[in-house]
Amino acid sequence: MTHEPNFDELIGTEATSEERERLHHAHDLLVQAGPPPELPPSLQKAPSFGVFSLHQRRVVKRRALVLLAAALSVAVVFFAGYAVRGGGSSAKAPHPVVALSLKGTSALPQAQATLQVWKARDGNWPMTLSVVGLPKLANHGYYEVYLVRNGHPWGLCGSFRGAGSSTALTVTLNAPYSLHKGDSWVVTRPTASGSEPGRTVLSPVSA
Amino acid sequence: MRKNSGDMEIALEVQQPRLRAVPATETARPQLDASDPSDADLLARVGEHDREAFEILYGRYVRPVFSLALRKLHDRGHAEDAVQEAFAAIWRSASTYRPERGAAGGWLYTVARNAIVDRLRRNGPATDAELPELVSGERDPSQQAEDSEVSWRVHRALEELQPREREVIELAYWSGMSQSEVAGYLGLPLGTVKTRTRSGLAKLADVLEGELL
Repeated sequence: MTHEPNFDELIGTEATSEERERLHHAHDLLVQAGPPPELPPSLQKAPSFGVFSLHQRRVVKRRALVLLAAALSVAVVFFAGYAVRGGGSSAKAPHPVVALSLKGTSALPQAQATLQVWKARDGNWPMTLSVVGLPKLANHGYYEVYLVRNGHPWGLCGSFRGAGSSTALTVTLNAPYSLHKGDSWVVTRPTASGSEPGRTVLSPVSA
Repeated sequence: MRKNSGDMEIALEVQQPRLRAVPATETARPQLDASDPSDADLLARVGEHDREAFEILYGRYVRPVFSLALRKLHDRGHAEDAVQEAFAAIWRSASTYRPERGAAGGWLYTVARNAIVDRLRRNGPATDAELPELVSGERDPSQQAEDSEVSWRVHRALEELQPREREVIELAYWSGMSQSEVAGYLGLPLGTVKTRTRSGLAKLADVLEGELL
């Protein structure tokens, strides 16, 4: 990394003095900057933070409906086979690596949720949050899910809009971090001051 | 909290930054051209939670942000997390960007730096084992800050080059090879390597002259 290329070898002698000066400036900055780091696999793709624009959400919704229909078809076939065979094993069903129950804080005592974190793919930990009791927020506001480390909100894992106080809602989120033992999650909502993270409205049920 | 620890991959490894001597053939984003949206346009769209705009912006800035994080945190794992946090902050606060107050690159730099500094504070002081090969004890904080800004600008500018130009530039500057060796390595005529190097350097000069950070 100590090798510095010879500017004259790179550029030759044909450039005008003005052009040489300009290129030399870029050359000096390249030398000063050093090489860019190679990206690890976990950073190759942009992370997902949950809320897309309206157009994209419609696309996602259509895709979700197609996937839901496909999933229902598979489920019907599976359970038909299960019934015909008189039972079977559920050993192949995927298991979350983390399953967490959350309850509403004093801000929203009626709210409750379950959070499942699935096996990571390329450094991303997909998560499924099923929640009930979160009202819709004014001005299209959204709730945020934070990874909690050492007792403090540590990293954003996504955002979603409430479905109403009596409506159940399931959303898919993502934790694009290296998870550590003791990590947990909370759901927050924005404060009037706009500070991040907002007020915690769902926190883990103590073991 | 119930964990199936057998399946849980805990990533605590501490790695030193691995510098790229030979460029990878992969590109994290498509090559830009004159019709590409500006950073300011992309930020406006990200402010409306436009996923496509976010991905383009991510492709342009992930390497500069990662480089900045490595410089300040000296730990690859922490730097990866800081990058995720920086882009989470960009996703969250893009709607607060006001073009009349300054260039988008400067705004992105500030948001990324703040996220990285937050990460640094949460990590606490670095241990001896994490201390840096990148920062010399002889360089004072202002010099280090200048180095970080220069790296940010240059690594962002590199993303503007054609892949074939970026390839020869990176080999010329950071592989230790001479131009003849680069030509042999790539299987190209020496004249082609020289032409690409010069055109790449000229384009870098254009980009670096035109941007305000």
